[in-house]
Amino acid sequence: MKKQNVRTLSLILCMFSYLLVGAAVFDALESESESSRRRILEQKRNEMKKKYRFSEDDYREIERVVLQAEPHRAGRQWKFAGSFYFAITVITTIGYGHAAPGTDAGKIFCMFYAVLGIPLTLVMFQSLGERMNTFVRYLLHKLKQCLGFRRTEVSMENMVLVGFLSCIGTLCVGAAAFSHFEGWTFFHSYYYCFITLTTIGFGDFVALQKKEDLQEKTPYVAFSFMYILVGLTVIGAFLNLVVLRFLTMNTEDERRDAQERPNHTICLSHTLEYEVF
Amino acid sequence: MKRQNARTLALIMSILTYLVVGAAVFETLESKQEKSHKRKLDARKYELMRKYNLTKENFEELEHVVLQLNPHKAGLQWKFAGSFYFAITVITTIGYGHAAPSTDSGKVFCMFYALLGIPLTLVMFQSLGERINTFVRYLLHQAKKCLGMRHTEVSMANMVTVGFFSCMSTLCVGAVAFSHSEGWSFLNAFYYCFITLTTIGFGDYVALQKNEALQNDPQYVAFCFVYILTGLTVIGAFLNLVVLRFLTMNTEDERRDAKEKALLSVSKPRGEVAHLLPVSISASSTPVADNTTKAKDFKGVYTEVLQFQTICSCLWYRSEEKEQDSIPNMIPQEMTFSDAYLQQNNDCAHYMEPGSTGCVCSPRQCTSISPISGLHIFSPFRMFKRRSSV
Repeated sequence: MKKQNVRTLSLILCMFSYLLVGAAVFDALESESESSRRRILEQKRNEMKKKYRFSEDDYREIERVVLQAEPHRAGRQWKFAGSFYFAITVITTIGYGHAAPGTDAGKIFCMFYAVLGIPLTLVMFQSLGERMNTFVRYLLHKLKQCLGFRRTEVSMENMVLVGFLSCIGTLCVGAAAFSHFEGWTFFHSYYYCFITLTTIGFGDFVALQKKEDLQEKTPYVAFSFMYILVGLTVIGAFLNLVVLRFLTMNTEDERRDAQERPNHTICLSHTLEYEVF
Repeated sequence: MKRQNARTLALIMSILTYLVVGAAVFETLESKQEKSHKRKLDARKYELMRKYNLTKENFEELEHVVLQLNPHKAGLQWKFAGSFYFAITVITTIGYGHAAPSTDSGKVFCMFYALLGIPLTLVMFQSLGERINTFVRYLLHQAKKCLGMRHTEVSMANMVTVGFFSCMSTLCVGAVAFSHSEGWSFLNAFYYCFITLTTIGFGDYVALQKNEALQNDPQYVAFCFVYILTGLTVIGAFLNLVVLRFLTMNTEDERRDAKEKALLSVSKPRGEVAHLLPVSISASSTPVADNTTKAKDFKGVYTEVLQFQTICSCLWYRSEEKEQDSIPNMIPQEMTFSDAYLQQNNDCAHYMEPGSTGCVCSPRQCTSISPISGLHIFSPFRMFKRRSSV
């Protein structure tokens, strides 16, 4: 079977196994805690219903009001600062969902906005990431020269190490900052930064949601936006270094196969033969 | 300024502008409605508080219970089906947040799970997407032949059209299915599919959250999982076709620059071929005759190697003999092929003349094509080694 097909099939199988294993582990870690929490909450709810004697309809109404009011508790989400925050979550595909367009026009615009914005953002982060890698490579080269190393070339391992440490450093800086400003524990802050910078963006922890932060604490707002964009660049640079080459593997193989077909090898075999190992 | 720097700066400026424009439009569309919605909710809240004589603290307690109970309303989120759903949202980076690990160990595992899963998933989708594109290209080619068209090559425009229509139909199929199963309007279901398949995943609309579907309706659950994964594949194939080449633009330019620098610097110990070097730099001329005569003057495979290298800036490789040397290690020991060289279908008149120059493309064509479509392919894991024919 062609190499590309084998590779693709194995990747599919890998991913499915990975999903199965993940599901099993999450089930084991979370299921029990979920059931017990649910029981406690339902008990509490029933107590409250009895205490205040809510009718069924009214209770459902209360539920509705509370759920819909939740995003509003964090202040105005759609003034300029909030909209900018939202726009960031769209084009970077983080998508917390702490605020989501309520109007139909908003939803439609959001879709068009994403169609153009997401590829633009992908290309931008990779472009900037590549520039950063080149610059780091240059710095490391100079550093090796200064330190009087015999071999001053920068190897892939050097770059991967520096990239990895930058990522960890970025996450830790963010964790420290957000745990201070948002009052989360360091661990929760770190988890928030990780989930944000991998663009998963659950929305269980979201920055700038304490009362009116978006409107009032402008330096903190600016810091958050900068952090997200710079952090994504650092992660993007690392991905550019390590993962991007794998994204073009099949395409390369196709081209190599195309090249090896007879009518293309006329000129290559003119003077030289090639061996691929 | 170097091309890559200019490009990067331009992209940064575009993104910032795009964000500002987007923010302004969203504000216009949503801000007023937000205000009136909040006012209505507050009014309703005070009514209810008055009706049941609730103090602020009572209501806050109630709020707390309602909010915490909400995810549970959708059923057990962490049994196997729910966990599988969650695992999908992690490694595809959709991340609805309808369920998020509450235990600390769950959070820790989630981070490690994502660390390995996300690159694996990216590579898998691109790999599968490329296979799909190749297959579609083959089908279109056959279709064109069947229809008796004169030009049976599949152009990029054909592929992009087919890709675009596949994406749209995937979204529409999903929209119909989910609007039926979840009771959403068509627009909301379409919006849900779009937000899911672009991996944004707000979580304002989430499938499988009604009527304990995760536990009770295994077929619908299976449909959802299959839909998300195939939808992402279709989108991934389209991205592979259209966007992937742009992700490697800067890297290609760096390699091209490094190559040019290297050619300039390989002049010291190789005196006899020094005068060949300007040939490749001044890529505009095709001094075919000159080089073939020079080739006759020099003996040895090595000089043919350099001739190849200097005539055809498309092909670049290192032979064993040149190991030692002035070519900086920054140049990867890889083969670069110009896009045009390998395309069977286009305007590649230039590759039809292997006999005369021994080269598959004229330098002018190569360097003029590379900035435009320029996908130089790198094979970091294989090195083309020249086996001497002499």
